[in-house]
Amino acid sequence: MNELGEDRIKKLLKQALPPMGEAELERDLWPDMLRRMDAAHEAPPWFDWALAAALAGFVAFVPMSIPVLLYYL
Amino acid sequence: MNTHPYLRAFLAGAFVPTVVLPLMLTGFIIFRLVLQVPIPIERGIIFPMALVPSLFGLWNMLWVGSHERTHLPIGMHGAVLPILGAPTGALVASSLGILALGASGVTWFDTFHVPYTLIAPLFLCVLGGYYLVWKYVVGFVNQVLGIA
Repeated sequence: MNELGEDRIKKLLKQALPPMGEAELERDLWPDMLRRMDAAHEAPPWFDWALAAALAGFVAFVPMSIPVLLYYL
Repeated sequence: MNTHPYLRAFLAGAFVPTVVLPLMLTGFIIFRLVLQVPIPIERGIIFPMALVPSLFGLWNMLWVGSHERTHLPIGMHGAVLPILGAPTGALVASSLGILALGASGVTWFDTFHVPYTLIAPLFLCVLGGYYLVWKYVVGFVNQVLGIA
């Protein structure tokens, strides 16, 4: 490819691709990243604790349910 | 890690019952063979051993396949499984002679009498247990295997 052709391709590429403009981010993404990392280690909600406690209580008060529960797991 | 998502989903689903089974077998050996407890536990092991791991695996595959459309949380999806599994398990137990229907309740393993008034709370317990197991254990394994 000769030099004239290269210049033409450069010109066409510049026309086809819009200018990048301001390269800075509109906002800091790091707090979002930290929030996501914290969410991954979030403690179980109170409802799940209550459910687990209710299950343990039921098994403690009705021990005959243990073999039935084991049968279904 | 984007290959074979359904195979990974099956393995993740079958993980929990597969881990629990050796513990149950250990309990069986201790109670039935060592302590000579006269309860026919061996007849009851067939359902958890043969069907439950496959059922968990297939159910997890269904979750992976349907999650994009339904957006159902995995705990809720798992809690629906006993609605299918409980009648199937009861049918298997009844045909194996480890579940007998009586006038006032059902008798498991010829020993444990469960009154009909306790069936509903027991079923809710199974639902709750499945919800927690699916949310925290199966969900965790799904995350580790890159399918959640």
